[in-house]
Amino acid sequence: MTEAAIAIRVEHLSKTFGGGLRRRGEVQALVDVSLEVSAGEIFGLLGPNGAGKTTLVKILLGSLHSSTGTASINSHDCGNWRARQKAGFLPENHRFPSYLTGQQLLNVYGGLAGMSRSAIRARSNELLEQVEMTRWRKTKIRKYSKGMMQRLGLAQALLNDPDLVFLDEPTDGVDPVGRREIREILKGLKKQGKTIFLNSHLLAEVEAVCDRVAILDKGKLIKTGPVGALIETKPYYWIETYHLPEHIAGMITSGFDQAIIEENVIKLPLENPRKINVIIDILRKYEVDIISVKPLSVSLEDSFMQLIKGGAAP
Amino acid sequence: MSRFMAVMGDSLLEVRDRKIFYLYWLVTLVMLLVFGLAPNLKINGNDLFGSMTSSPETIIGIQSAFFDGFFGFMLFLMVFGSAGLVPSFLGKGRIELSLSKPVSRYRLLTMKFLAVFIIMCGILIISTTIIWGVLSFRLGVTPGYFFYGLLYACLEFLAIYAIVFFFGAVGQSTVVAIMGYFIIRVGADLLANREVVYQFLGDSIWKTILDTVYYILPKIGEMSDNYGSLMQGGGFVKTYPIYSTLGISLVIFLIALLIFKRRDY
Repeated sequence: MTEAAIAIRVEHLSKTFGGGLRRRGEVQALVDVSLEVSAGEIFGLLGPNGAGKTTLVKILLGSLHSSTGTASINSHDCGNWRARQKAGFLPENHRFPSYLTGQQLLNVYGGLAGMSRSAIRARSNELLEQVEMTRWRKTKIRKYSKGMMQRLGLAQALLNDPDLVFLDEPTDGVDPVGRREIREILKGLKKQGKTIFLNSHLLAEVEAVCDRVAILDKGKLIKTGPVGALIETKPYYWIETYHLPEHIAGMITSGFDQAIIEENVIKLPLENPRKINVIIDILRKYEVDIISVKPLSVSLEDSFMQLIKGGAAP
Repeated sequence: MSRFMAVMGDSLLEVRDRKIFYLYWLVTLVMLLVFGLAPNLKINGNDLFGSMTSSPETIIGIQSAFFDGFFGFMLFLMVFGSAGLVPSFLGKGRIELSLSKPVSRYRLLTMKFLAVFIIMCGILIISTTIIWGVLSFRLGVTPGYFFYGLLYACLEFLAIYAIVFFFGAVGQSTVVAIMGYFIIRVGADLLANREVVYQFLGDSIWKTILDTVYYILPKIGEMSDNYGSLMQGGGFVKTYPIYSTLGISLVIFLIALLIFKRRDY
């Protein structure tokens, strides 16, 4: 990949918080993280709470200093303010100044991004329309709902027409309709060739819009790859019963080594459809009531949970 | 310039949103009502308004004494008005967004310092100039030396705000900013009279320590001693506290910038 085609490069990045001189209470927020994000892709960073997602974004955007390793945006070191010239950011748990109106907020942060008043005005008209906030532009932010603030935050992140947009939990507090609208905006940005770095714990959201994802857990990058590759394409049968006696469950697991029993549910890989009939015959023979039999595919959530619980290697 | 105007606009809107902002105008209004509507004021046997019975020198003396106190009072209020602005600017959920913009940390914090300084001085200038205008009209004397005092008050606020700013930026708390300033202010005022303490100290090491602490503290209280003389056209009574305080304040400001540069947010 050429240097110009890489929007974000992170190499052996680590971040340790606290500790002081005696190093007591040190927290390793990031441990030797390396990744690359290509220009024009939507990259999702997944991980449970406290995995280090926000820490990584904050280092990339200059709020935090890394302990070791390097990180760059558009070939500029993240410690250099020039790296952020064509970047937009919607932080998680932002606290926009409540004394500002929506328009004033865009004026302030557009100005800080180096935009002229006329450019801010023109761009904010367009963006407020896009996030459906035009009628609230003169209302003080303290009167906004969480969803309205997210919409305004998205407009703010896109104000300087950035090439690279960092969105930290962008749909947090947004209703389902708003979520869909935000997803459409993200897809529209991708069509314009923008790079999007999406931090989210909403796996369905990431699955719907991202080209590639990385999974962070306890500060470590445990997997990176295209969404399709991450979702192991192993559909399985799901047989749900009212009550599955222990001896029958044992009989099934000893006869079918790929079968997984979870309480009253039997899971069996779809590549063995014939075995389904055999299992059903056993259940009927022992008068076990079957509620449903259905084929299911593994979702990103299943894959994610498996990785987090299992701590699989990349 | 657009970046500075953005910080300026944001600071102005924040100051306007704070209730203490109205206190400045309330104080100004009360003063205007007193000086504008009072039929007469008698100070030390001199009739100020109405029949002109006092000499211009006496009136200028009384006026400078009034503004000496009034500047002190306004600067006191300005500490409270400005102390919360930096901690709120550095607040969690807000500073991350400012730092994500293409502007260096040094520049960002310097712009905030200048914006707050200009706004607070603007309030001081507008408020005191209006009062001076009405008072001068009633007195029939317009002493221009007042403006030396006003300029000097802005200079004093520069030193005051550097201290408030330092504690606000380091402690990220309004309370810490106010307390830090007043501890330094009171400490320096006490040490200005350290000769009294020397009588009780036999050990010369203690004298050296007290002297050293005195010289490294900004001497805001001693700076204020110049108002009376300045506003009567007499120049500075003490110059050392001015150079010393401004120099130390500059160092304090630079330390605040360095801490801000290195800190994680």
